Amino acid sequence: MGVTRRTFIRTFTTGLALGATGALTGCAASMRGDFMPKAGKRVVVIGGGWGGATAAKYVRLGDPSIDVVMLEPNKQFISCPFSNLVLSGLRSLDSLTMGYDGLRKQGVKIVHAEAGAIEPDTKRVRVGEGYLQYDRLIVSPGIEFQWEQVEGLPAAKDRVLHAWKAGPQTVELAKQIQSMADGGVFVLTVPPIAYRCPPGPYERICQVAWYLKQNKPKSKVIVLDANQNIVSKTALFRAAWQAYPNIEYRPSSKIVKVDVGTREVATEIGDKVKYDVLNLIPPQRAGSIAVQSDLVGVDKRWCEVDHVTYESAKAKDVHVIGDSTIGLPVPKSGNIANAMGKISASAVVALLNGRPAPQMPPGNTCYSWVSDREAIAVVNSYRIASGKVVQIEQKLTPAQAVSVAQNAVGWAQSIWADVLS
Amino acid sequence: MSRRLLMCAGFAIGVSVAAPAAAGPLDHPGYPKAFSCSACHGFAGNSRSDAMPILAGQHAGYLKKALQDYAGGKRPSAEMEPYAKMAIELGVDDVASYFASQTRMPTASAIDRAAAERGKAASAVCAACHGPTGKGDAAKDMPDLTGQPVGFLKNQLLLFKADKRSPGDAALMQPKAIIKGLPDDTLADLAAYYASQR
Repeated sequence: MGVTRRTFIRTFTTGLALGATGALTGCAASMRGDFMPKAGKRVVVIGGGWGGATAAKYVRLGDPSIDVVMLEPNKQFISCPFSNLVLSGLRSLDSLTMGYDGLRKQGVKIVHAEAGAIEPDTKRVRVGEGYLQYDRLIVSPGIEFQWEQVEGLPAAKDRVLHAWKAGPQTVELAKQIQSMADGGVFVLTVPPIAYRCPPGPYERICQVAWYLKQNKPKSKVIVLDANQNIVSKTALFRAAWQAYPNIEYRPSSKIVKVDVGTREVATEIGDKVKYDVLNLIPPQRAGSIAVQSDLVGVDKRWCEVDHVTYESAKAKDVHVIGDSTIGLPVPKSGNIANAMGKISASAVVALLNGRPAPQMPPGNTCYSWVSDREAIAVVNSYRIASGKVVQIEQKLTPAQAVSVAQNAVGWAQSIWADVLS
Repeated sequence: MSRRLLMCAGFAIGVSVAAPAAAGPLDHPGYPKAFSCSACHGFAGNSRSDAMPILAGQHAGYLKKALQDYAGGKRPSAEMEPYAKMAIELGVDDVASYFASQTRMPTASAIDRAAAERGKAASAVCAACHGPTGKGDAAKDMPDLTGQPVGFLKNQLLLFKADKRSPGDAALMQPKAIIKGLPDDTLADLAAYYASQR
């Protein structure tokens, strides 16, 4: 990290005043006032996930004279793609956990803290008791859960696992599945669209069903899907499930209530289902900072953006990317967030240098593991027509295959590097 | 494909130590047009995975042909067909010359030296088209195989053998006939040999 003299003095004196020592990052006590004064052009990035980390890197690549500060509370990046394989015991969470040193080598300054508020009028992001000044802001906050949509969930949200943000919950859910008795019932609930990773729940069903088939042959998976049908790769998942008679799929079964005492969930149409292990994936909206800073639309859930620059429809010089956006005909996927990171970065670099933003469409590649060794994929490409992203084509792999799984591994290695190094 | 682009491709391959001094990867008009490619093929087309081919330093004419074959369904790939159509809409010459002008970083995947030695001995039959070390031929759109990932090369050879890559392509009938006559172990050796070449 290139520490300017001014930054150093400021940090040093702030540190002295507060009795804190040294580290700027992760030290809430030093975040008072303008704690990293801006010298030249600066881009602040909120969120170090697939979108934000990519954007931070590509702004630096596009114009190394731009100061980039990324706000991310977590010290490490954990990949959601491939995390369903942790549930079947095929991968460890460690193998999906990566550091941010690659971004630091690109000159990205990382502050491990949460953004408190966005102030577009003064071009400030509130952090702790201080603020960061920006010329342009890229917001990539991911998703947050709408706990209140399910009765009984707000009070039990620490015990009812979503495992929909890869991390400790993923490991905990894997443990619960492993320690479930043979004959136990695993219930998974799929939220109504739009939600993060449309095929994700169905891949998870494959992985859990595969694990149970091998290890607990008397157990079953009951799927309560709020949607009318499998929402992604429908025919390929249907074909894959032929190998898993232990799956009981119930469409149009939106969850409205959970009772952790009786270990029971209730659907909108009044069905009650007992569980031994529950994986309740709640309905979702844009990450909290986007809602609190009023970047969301009338639905109060998702953020509308310009399809070329990703500038917010609601706030000038504020760009929103990744899962929290709506209105583009793209899925909420890591690959799309990565694409939006690159495109928004090139737009921001162009605009800060007085040039028009290049008109670049995103692309999407999405693999799903349907067993321990076979995968399927969907690929979407897009064009920009009259300023809007429209699809050129969607293609599915003809069938599940080992070769597709090999490509999935190749994709993961390449895209993790594209995001982080 | 213009003569200048082909020369540019040749230059990038000829000079393996340093990138052309005039420009970095970001100065090329193909740079933003290739944004989608890096998710699988790595930054500047230097894939670090065993499954995905390295596009950096590949002959521009070959890259253009590959994209056109994918887009037209001649070379079947669910993953590549939509992206090839996108690259063609954005400007296939820009995308191809962007990757051709990048310096190739040879594969990071492990290479079995003994297999590479056996592959060298078996490679004479490939040399007529791909050259003695697999550098290919820009003028004939013959791809550069050197430093490509072992897994990728082996997979392509198996696809050729099963006639699943570009089925019915008359220009590929002869190499496919040669490959069909080779055992899978020899194909793995050939993959190791070309991956080991610089």
